Order: sequence, then structure tokens, then C-alpha cells
Amino acid sequence: MSLAQVAAAGPAAAPATEFAGELARIEATIASSRDDALVAPTDTETVTIYLDARYRRAMLTGDLGALARLEPLIVRGIALIPHPGDLHLLRARLAFHLHRLADAARILDAVAPARACAEGEVLLADLDVQHGRWARAAARYEAIIAKGRHWGALAGLAYLHFKTGDAARADRLYAEAADELTAKEMRSYAALELQRGVLDLAHGRHADAAAHYARAARAYSGWWLVDEHMAELLAVEGDRAGAAALYERILAAVARPELHQLLGQLYVLMEWPGRARSHLVQARAGYRASIRAGGVHYYHHLADFYAEAMVDGAKAVDWARRDLALRENCSTQAALAWALLRDGRPGEAAEWMDRALASGVRDAHLFAQAAAIFAAAGLPEKSAQCRDESRAINPRLSRFHVHR
Amino acid sequence: MADHNDPNAVNSIFSDIEVSGADLYDIFGFPSDDRDGGEKVVLALTFAAVPVAGTLDSDLLYRIRVAPDRRIVRSEDDHSLEALFRYFEGVKNKYLSALKPAEVRVTVDPGGRATVKFIGFSGGSFTQVIDTNKTVVLKSPGGHAIKVYVGGREDAFFNDLPGFFRSINYAPQFYHVPHTMPEARELPIPKTFLELEGNDLFNYNPAIPLHGRGVKLDLPPGPWAWTGNKYKKDADGNYRFVYSGQDAQAGKNINAVILEVPLAYVTPTPNDHRVVNAWGESWVRKAAHKVESIPDEPFWIERPLDFIDAIGLDDELKQYKLVDTDGQAFADAALSEREDSRQMGANNFWLAPHFVKRLAHLGWGFGPSVTALGLKCAFDHDNSPISVHRYEHSVLTAFPRVKKVLFQDMRMPDDSWNPKGLNIPLRRPVEIFIPNVNSIDMDTTGTWPFGRRLEDQVATRFLSVFLDMEAEFKGKKYHVELLNDQSLWDAAPIVPKTPPNPLKNDVPFLKAFPYLAEPHAEATGQKPPYP
Repeated sequence: MSLAQVAAAGPAAAPATEFAGELARIEATIASSRDDALVAPTDTETVTIYLDARYRRAMLTGDLGALARLEPLIVRGIALIPHPGDLHLLRARLAFHLHRLADAARILDAVAPARACAEGEVLLADLDVQHGRWARAAARYEAIIAKGRHWGALAGLAYLHFKTGDAARADRLYAEAADELTAKEMRSYAALELQRGVLDLAHGRHADAAAHYARAARAYSGWWLVDEHMAELLAVEGDRAGAAALYERILAAVARPELHQLLGQLYVLMEWPGRARSHLVQARAGYRASIRAGGVHYYHHLADFYAEAMVDGAKAVDWARRDLALRENCSTQAALAWALLRDGRPGEAAEWMDRALASGVRDAHLFAQAAAIFAAAGLPEKSAQCRDESRAINPRLSRFHVHR
Repeated sequence: MADHNDPNAVNSIFSDIEVSGADLYDIFGFPSDDRDGGEKVVLALTFAAVPVAGTLDSDLLYRIRVAPDRRIVRSEDDHSLEALFRYFEGVKNKYLSALKPAEVRVTVDPGGRATVKFIGFSGGSFTQVIDTNKTVVLKSPGGHAIKVYVGGREDAFFNDLPGFFRSINYAPQFYHVPHTMPEARELPIPKTFLELEGNDLFNYNPAIPLHGRGVKLDLPPGPWAWTGNKYKKDADGNYRFVYSGQDAQAGKNINAVILEVPLAYVTPTPNDHRVVNAWGESWVRKAAHKVESIPDEPFWIERPLDFIDAIGLDDELKQYKLVDTDGQAFADAALSEREDSRQMGANNFWLAPHFVKRLAHLGWGFGPSVTALGLKCAFDHDNSPISVHRYEHSVLTAFPRVKKVLFQDMRMPDDSWNPKGLNIPLRRPVEIFIPNVNSIDMDTTGTWPFGRRLEDQVATRFLSVFLDMEAEFKGKKYHVELLNDQSLWDAAPIVPKTPPNPLKNDVPFLKAFPYLAEPHAEATGQKPPYP
């Protein structure tokens, strides 16, 4: 059953889950909007409500294609109303989500009302994170928090502490962010619980991660994103069949290529090559479709795809470099390093991995990749050091890994 | 209003903010006429009817906080800035240390049963679960009979709310104002009781008679500042009133917590504590509590102030967040500008300097329009012939202008408010608004500002704070009801010839508990066209 069917099912019955309920409300908002919401004469409220509902539907259902198709409508809406500050902000968020960081920055730079509000300020800090400007990002988050304890800024700051190895502080900040949320914001609360679970998982605390994921599920039932996190945990725990079944169920509703890739890689580990091949082909097709449509969101995934799934070092390097051109940070630097290793260029790989590590990142998976790269580059001491770091951070690091 | 649609977190004037049951509307309070079994005080906290009248949101918690006290005795007649700050300091000390407010706390479960907790009253604490939408008589541990009603009623507030918003050029009532434009809420146009010549953004437009009364337009491009220099007049030389006298709340419902409580339950010394200070609060459940997880401990190393605040909360309240407070009519919308961070109730003494500056800002707008009508104004506007948009950035410059407004006695129209003929001083605005509580004098009828009775036209009485109470109209000194006097408007060069707000509610109040009328039949799930 697709997500649209979930929302449409049973017109008189109460939605079975919070997810279905929210989606149904969004659908009702869209349906109740005038057909000509974006045709003059119209007004700010009509335009804004309609486009905001379309945006929320695309985000909730994980439909990046719908998100990309929404942008021209937002542009049209901006032209129709006298004070489109909210729509500029919506467009900047959309661009950010699609990894079009330069576009997001350009919008915020050009539209003062969009960058001056709390959401705009958080987005500016998020952009700094993506560009590896962590100190500046932290300063921005802290300034926002000092003004109004915005939960998004607290979560952003938590993420920075997560990446730089202060897990305890990160978890406290996530908890503080959650403390700012009310019973009317349960999806946001669930998202924070997922983040806390990811933090635990990255440190090998599987039971704690499971507890957070379970709390997320209770807070906001029926959300495929919670299932997706649970599937990763199952795989990491060794329940590959359970994880595969869950991924299959998610994919029936949310056909995102990266989910096909994950399931394909899982089937590889399960030594089911036929199913693996099928899902990897679907993943590649999805990535290609996005690229053909002008998208850049999947550059990072493509680098990983050709480094890990259908190994082709040259292609991996190509996509990693494209991603790096969009946003240079420890993650994209490490991805390029890994791609270079796959392409048989360990010396260059070691150089890029050095750059990644210079950011101060402390991540078990990244240290494990660094250990492999440095070993291949003839740097056994650095390799051993990175291996030890990786084990210290997460003694239960799994071969199954999800990029987040 | 008292303070419909504030703070901004629940300000449903903005189109994308849902009406919330956390939006407190009014707190009424007066001595009950029913004296069987002794003196009783009536308290009624009203709030948005969400989901619908008679059904309360189970994620919300309401508190009516009650602090009995002696009547204020004026120890000095010093109207200096120093005296003002001594007063604020005294209030602060009293509310931070001396008074320990009791409270009635109400939550409603999804099945519609209300848990009512009486906490900290001298007559004993107790809890009872009751049906909603029914009058219930509870017995306290000491045997006091307490009447309680939790549920839907007709909105007891009668008011030309759009007129008030027109007077302060509050754009979200009239225009679609994006969230990214907070500067476009109160537009930089003089506040006024009389329409300004050329103020096309807010002047009544007969071509769009419902503008601001349900009809919103797109906000034209700025700048929005007014550049005129006179009030608008028609061909007959009449000013145009920003108010219509129409009841914007007619036909609307609210949800409410209504109590009738023996004074002897509230205080062990009812003969001494003749004033019952009351204010309301709405709290919303935290997300963490909603999923029944164990709340995280306060992070006292990183947030010591929050930790200190948290110590004052019991385990139940730690699971909620404060959203709105309501004590005095207009304290929020007019004086605190709806800021989320200014929802402080009795603790609004922290805002005292802001209060003085804000009052001066209102005075620069309203004052000259009062004078233009031929009335004497308490605000010193240097005889400005026209309303001025001016912010006083210093208390030192604001205070001399608002001194009379703050310290003048709010004269009552006759002696009916004081049926026992006791030596009770008239209230002064400074005492009315700081602290932000409904201060019910049990030796009076409880009419505003000695409490707030349902039939009080409190919005118009609030406007009277700008009148010079030493002046006379028809041989009688100004008083809090003067602007409700039709003969004043009949004689004034103004149209429409009406008091600013309606003189009575659209539905008669009941003579017995719960006093507020039965709710109107209503369609469910509809957002009111305006607050």
C-alpha cells in the first residue's frame, strides 16, 4: 500500500496511526485549497497554505521527486504575492534538503526576512555544517539558543558534538531539544529520538538505540522513517532476515533508491545475489533518474554505491568529487578518500582522509575506513591508531552501515 | 478580550496557527451574591473552545492561582519615579516570598472526565475527578462546599475586538502577515481612537465592510508609515471612530473552568484577607510526557537558572510547559505586546520598566485623539493636535508623561461598587496592571477594577485610564464608565455615535452558578473567522 493509499483509506474511519492522520490532514488541506490557488487573483494565505501543504506532504512521504517538482510552483507563488518572505524561506529549505546548498545560501543572502527569523538562522547554521564550518555553525546555534531555545538549534548543536566525539554532551543537548517540544509536536520529538538512537548506535549501545527507536514509534506511530532506523538496527544486530523483511515493507510504500541500495547490500551479506542484484539495479535506476532530472541530492549516495555496491572506483571518484564540489566537509572528504582507494589510488586516498580527520571528526566508521586506507598507503602506524580509535568509539562496528 | 490570541505561540490571528485551547481569554472574579454558608468568591477562567465547546484538549493543564491578601494600604502619596519603583519592589518581594499562591489545577482526560486538584488552600488540599459540562458541588476536607464547572459555555466577553486592533494598527487582524515579517504586526502608524486622514490601511472602507472582521487582504508593499497630519473628518465635520460598538464575540463559545469557593476555604483569616488575587495559566504537555517516558533530569550544570526554576515546580508541572497567563484585561495584548516570553502573570513586575514605556507609546497615540474629542487626557502629549507614533526608549523620558495615567485614582461612576460604604481607596492603574492579577475586593461588588464581573464592559473601562479623572463632564467628574455614556458620544463630533464597545453581552448571564450562559449550537471543527 502506498503512502497516498494510507492517507486515503477509510474516509470515515479515524486514521490508524499518527503518520496516517497527519498525512490525511495535509491531503485535506491540499484538497480544500482552490484549484486556482496559484492563479491570479489570489492571496498570500491561499498561496502559502497550499504550497506549505505540498511541501509537508513531500517531506513526510520522503518523495524527493515531488519536492523537486514543487519548486517551480513556489517560484510561481512568490511572484503572485506582495510579501513572499515565508515562501522564500520554504524554497531555501527545499533547496537545502535537495543538497542544493548554493541555492539555499543565495536565497537567504538575498531575502533578509527569510534569514532573520529563527528558522532562517537555523538554516544558515545548517549550511555551515554542510560546508564544514563547524565552529561558525556552533556559534550560530548557540546564538539562536541564547535568544529563544529553538529546538532545531539545540539539535544542530547536538549533532556537532556527536560528530566531534562528545557523545554525552550531544545526548544532553538532544534531550534539551526534546524538552522544548510539546504534545503538539510529536513528529519532531520522534525525529529527535531517532537522532539519539543513531548516536547510541554509533557507539555500539544497541539496547539504548532500540529504546530510543521504540520511543519514537510510540510518539509518532506509523512513520516509515522509524521503521527504516529499526531495520538498520536489526541488520547491525545480526537479524538480517528481519531487517530485510522490514526494508521490503518500507520500500512498498517509499521507493527511494538509497533504500533499494541498503536492501541490496543486505542481500549481498545474506548471500542472496539475485535479490541483491535486483535491488541494486533499482537503486541505480533511481539515482540516474534523479540525476537526469537535474538533481544533485544523490551524488553522495552514488559515490557510496560505486564504492560499495557495484564497485567501480573511477565512477565512485567521479561522484565523490561532484559531491565535494557542492559541500566540502569531513564526510565528503572521507567519501572521496574511500572512492580513491577503490580506484586503486591509496596515496591520494590517504591525503584526503587526512583532511577529513583534521576536521576533528570522531566517528567509528570513518576511523575504520581510515585504517584501511592508511594500511593500503603503507602507513601501518596510522592505520593501527585509527583502528584503535574506531574500536574505542564503537567496539561493535558492523559491516552494514547506513549513511545519514 | 482580555487577551484573546496571545501570546504569539497561540495567536490564531495568523492563518497558519491553529486555534488552541491554550489561548486563555479572560479571568472573571467577583464576590458571589449567594451568601448562604458565608462569603464566596466566583472565579471563571475562559479559553478557546478547542476542539469544540464542551470538549477540552487532554494535552492541556489549566491553573487558577489564588493569593488572598490584605487590601493595599497607601503609605505615601508620592508620585515620583522612585515611588513607582518602590511599589514595584514591594510587589516583587510580596509575590516572591510572602504570598504563597494556592491553586486549582484542572486536566481533562480523553474520555471527558476532569481531574480537579485544590492545592495549598488553607481549607485543605484534595483531588476529585468530575464529569465535564455539569455543575458539581465538591466537599473540601474541612467540609466547605465548592461549586465547580468544567466545560463549554457561551463567551462572556462582549467587545469590538476589530475596533481595538484598528486603534493600534494591528495588521494581522486585517492583512495576511507572513511570519518572516514580525515588524509588520503593529504597523508604524500612530495609535488612535479617531481615524487618521489618509490611513488607508486601517480606515473603515465601505467597499469592504468586513475588512478586519473576517476579511483579510494582502498587505500592500511598504513603507507603511503614516505621513498625514490630521484626523479624518466627513463632510459634516465629524471624526470617524475606529470602534463600531459591535460585539465581535457574539455567537461564540468558549471552554471554561468556573468555581464558586467559600472565602473561608481560601484563607484562614477571611476577615483580614479581604482581597483575593487570582490569575490563570495554561500549560501544554511536553512531548516526552506524552509518550510516558521518564523525563530527563534538569541539566543544572549547563542551565542553572532553569534548574532553579524547575525546583519550584512539582512533578506534574515539570511535565508541562507554560503557554499563556491571564490576570488583567488588556495586560497582554495592549501592554505586553503578546510576547511569548512575557507570559508572567503575577511575576510581571519584571516587566515594569517596559510597562511604563509601552504605556507612553500608547499615550502618544491615544492621548491626542482623546483631546481632539474635547475630553481631558491624563497623558502629557504636549498638546499635540494629532496622534503621534513615538517610542520612548527610556523610562526617564516616559515616566513624566505617563505619571498621571499611572497614579490617578480610577473614579467609579457612583458608590454602588462599595455597598458597605467602607473606606476603600480607589484603584490606580499602576496597581491594576502590576502585578498582572485579577484583584477581587470582597467588600465591593467586584466590578472592575475591584475584580471583574461578567457584565463589566472592561474594554471600554480600560480606555478610560487615558482620561483625566479630575476633569468633569456635565458637572460630574470623569469616571471609568464615562466612555460607555451614550450622551457623550451623542454630543461628540464623531460617527458612528456609539460607545466603543457593546454595553452588554449578546446572551443574558445566568443569575446562578455557573453564571455564564449555555453555549451556542455550533458547527465543529471550524476556525472562527476572527477572535
